[in-house]
Amino acid sequence: MSAAKKYKPMDTTELHDTENIAACIKKGENTALNLGRSAFGAQNMNSASTTTNGERLPNFSKLSAQHGNDLRSTSTTSNLLNRMGSNHNSKPGDVKKIVIKNFKAKPTLPDNYSEDTYLKLEEAVIAIQLSKPIKYSLEELYQAVVNMCSHKMDAQLYAKLKELTEQHVKRNIKYKELTGGSIDKLILLEKINNWWLSFCQQMIMIRSIFLYMDRTYVLQNSSIHSIWDMGLDLFRIHFAQNSLVQKRTVDGLLAMIEKERQGSTVDRGLLKSLVRMLCDLQIYTNAFEEKFLDATNQLYKAESQRKMLELEVPEYLQHVNKRLAEENERLLHYLDSSTKHPLIYNVEKELLAEHLTTILQKGLDSLLEDNRLNDLTLLYGLLSRVKNGTSELCGNFNGYIKKKGRTIVIDPEKDKSMVQDLLDFKDKMDIIVRNCFEHNEKFTNSLREAFEFFINQRANKPAELIAKYVDMKLRSGNKGTTDEELEKTLDKIMVLFRFIHGKDVFEAFYKKDLAKRLLVGKSASVDSEKSMLSKLKQECGGGFTSKLEGMFKDMELSRDINLAFRGHTLSNDRDVTNLDLTVNILTMGYWPTYPPTEVTMPPQFVNPQQIFNKFYLEKHSGRKLQWQPTLGNCMLRAHFDAAPKELIVSLFQALVLLLFNDKPTLSYEEILAATNIEDGELRRTIQSLACGRARVITKTPKGRDIEDGDQFHFNNEFTNKLFRIKINQIQMKETNEEQKATEERVFQDRQYQIDAAIVRIMKMRKTLSHNLLITELFNQLTFPVKPADLKKRIESLIDRDYMERDKDNQNQYNYVA
Amino acid sequence: MADDPENSVDKPDDNDAGKPEKMFTLKKWNAVAMWSWDVECDICAICRVQVMDSCLRCQAENKRDVLGRQDCVVVWGECNHSFHHCCMSLWVKQNNRCPLCQQEWSIQRMGK
Repeated sequence: MSAAKKYKPMDTTELHDTENIAACIKKGENTALNLGRSAFGAQNMNSASTTTNGERLPNFSKLSAQHGNDLRSTSTTSNLLNRMGSNHNSKPGDVKKIVIKNFKAKPTLPDNYSEDTYLKLEEAVIAIQLSKPIKYSLEELYQAVVNMCSHKMDAQLYAKLKELTEQHVKRNIKYKELTGGSIDKLILLEKINNWWLSFCQQMIMIRSIFLYMDRTYVLQNSSIHSIWDMGLDLFRIHFAQNSLVQKRTVDGLLAMIEKERQGSTVDRGLLKSLVRMLCDLQIYTNAFEEKFLDATNQLYKAESQRKMLELEVPEYLQHVNKRLAEENERLLHYLDSSTKHPLIYNVEKELLAEHLTTILQKGLDSLLEDNRLNDLTLLYGLLSRVKNGTSELCGNFNGYIKKKGRTIVIDPEKDKSMVQDLLDFKDKMDIIVRNCFEHNEKFTNSLREAFEFFINQRANKPAELIAKYVDMKLRSGNKGTTDEELEKTLDKIMVLFRFIHGKDVFEAFYKKDLAKRLLVGKSASVDSEKSMLSKLKQECGGGFTSKLEGMFKDMELSRDINLAFRGHTLSNDRDVTNLDLTVNILTMGYWPTYPPTEVTMPPQFVNPQQIFNKFYLEKHSGRKLQWQPTLGNCMLRAHFDAAPKELIVSLFQALVLLLFNDKPTLSYEEILAATNIEDGELRRTIQSLACGRARVITKTPKGRDIEDGDQFHFNNEFTNKLFRIKINQIQMKETNEEQKATEERVFQDRQYQIDAAIVRIMKMRKTLSHNLLITELFNQLTFPVKPADLKKRIESLIDRDYMERDKDNQNQYNYVA
Repeated sequence: MADDPENSVDKPDDNDAGKPEKMFTLKKWNAVAMWSWDVECDICAICRVQVMDSCLRCQAENKRDVLGRQDCVVVWGECNHSFHHCCMSLWVKQNNRCPLCQQEWSIQRMGK
């Protein structure tokens, strides 16, 4: 209920019958609140008659005043009641009329009433101010005020009260100043606090007595402060004017707060009370807050500089966190809530923003390096509070990843562990972003960007190693990992793969390894292979994987063809069935190209080969078959003295071994002449048979390397605990060559792609300047290229008449249709 | 694989009877062969793409047709020149001559 409404009944004394008035009189309303309530109740009862009449106010007031002065009279509200009566009159059935008439003469106050009352009130006020007992009852004083107001002496009364209060305040301030000269700050503060508290109590008391005035006179004059505000106003004026007292108070407060910041306990109640006082006096902002913030800034500026030198970054962060918590507590306990923003802002600025770069440069790298998740969370939490904090953090985070990532990628010594290191590094950074940096998108993007940046710092090698890593994972013999784990690893690999610019390098190596897996039957699981393939497809599109898919298709088709071939041989030539021939038919173009080699094969091989050729070409006209002696394997049954064995060997190894059927000792030259295997390849082949783990032939003279003129013998004494023995080719050198060849092929492919892109662009644009063409090319090409290479391709295309230099402008090219 | 033990039981008997001294016997050969179209020129003269690959059109449309290459076979004319079948069938609509030798075009055989 608003105050205005509450007072309304006073103005409109709609007391509608004598009974009600009598009740009011009888009860002897001695507090305004009661009076108001009953009057208000009256209005509620008769809310229909809301006529407001200025005249009625004095009437009713007079009535109450008279009651207060024991001037009992029956009624002075005859005016009103007359009307009420006539209202009643109008009702049919009412016969009697009650007529109440006005007083003949207006009641008057005794002559000296106002002076006496003034004195009485003054006395009471002074007594209250001096905390002495009051002679009169409060009820009496209240009535006195009401009477004074009713008789239009409210203005004087207010002035008088103001004067009294002012005197009191002045007196007190002077008194405090005098005693405060020599005393301790704390005591001074306590004194001021006591004084303030008692002043407030006194003002409440005084206001209670003068309540009626507060609610009538003061309320009607908007220019006049309520008694409470008047008191505060005076207090403020004198407190603020007396700068010494004010300064001492504020200094005292600041000293206390500083003491608390140093770690000692102080009387928070006192602080709170005094701060409340400053707030109530509305000098909090001007007199206190400014100085307080200044002091805060100075303190923390000095402290942060000192601590930055003394402490390690994590400890410093802990310290800052503690400080912020303390300041927040301070706000909660005694400071005004309006200070919250500037205070926290200042503390953050001094402790964090000022040292942002130092903190990050000094501490971030080691935090990341040591994976200190809690400290990183704290760091993020603190830095996100200051301006540019997260972006600075993000920038440094990015820098760290690039720096660290580069060391992983760039060093050829670490090639072996590069991919695993990258995966681990990525995992670690992901966890940090997720757990410590609240999964902030800015950081996720930055992480991605940094990875992409550093992984491409070294051309081609990462792509190659990632492909190798996948091969390692997909190859059988990689036991101990479940399908789900493998799947997870592949997903992670794909993340790295996404960063790589030279995806063609990856494809080339992946393809080569996939071919090996498929042909040797070393693939761990067809499902995983397919899953990897679909991931690649998703990432790079169908064009990227169509050939890889073709390879799988070839394997399936080969299976069917072999089944058909077996059926065919069973029904036709029984002679050749003692050789179990399986042929993998690969589509040229899908698979990596293998160097064509010619070797001399004995009829055991040639005959079935021809039968198969005939069979296949009948089925598929227009094709030709090119046999790949470097691929595939054979199983030989070997008869040693100790026990018969089955040897799984390459075709070359088989060719060499089969020679010993005719002659138990052969020279290198004889073998070379008989097989026609390329020299280096043959040496490696013999080495694997004579110097490897399973030595089915022996060599004289002994030694690791195969020299011209060496002799080889069938090793009849060969023993091995296994029945079936696989003799591995020696591949070390070959892999190096293969690797080079693969790279070479990739570069070759790139040249075509560059050519195609140039022609595409020129065909569309017809004429284009050199620089524009180069920029367009950089946009179109998906792999890293050097401008010099582009220039070479452009020259080559000009030579081949795809385009020409403009005759007038050497820097301009024209498309030649 | 299941056949192997049987064979190994059978064969030594044969060999022992015929040539007992034979040290190595070839039992099984997993060979690898590449197939390609038996053509004189690797490149289709019409679309300038290797005949082993799909023709340009098929490559562009490959996205929707995963089986892809099966359709894009090679065709040989009586003149023994070869092209992508797709390319040639478009070509003959305009000009029923071999683009290389200008002979009347008639299909000798198709790849399959």
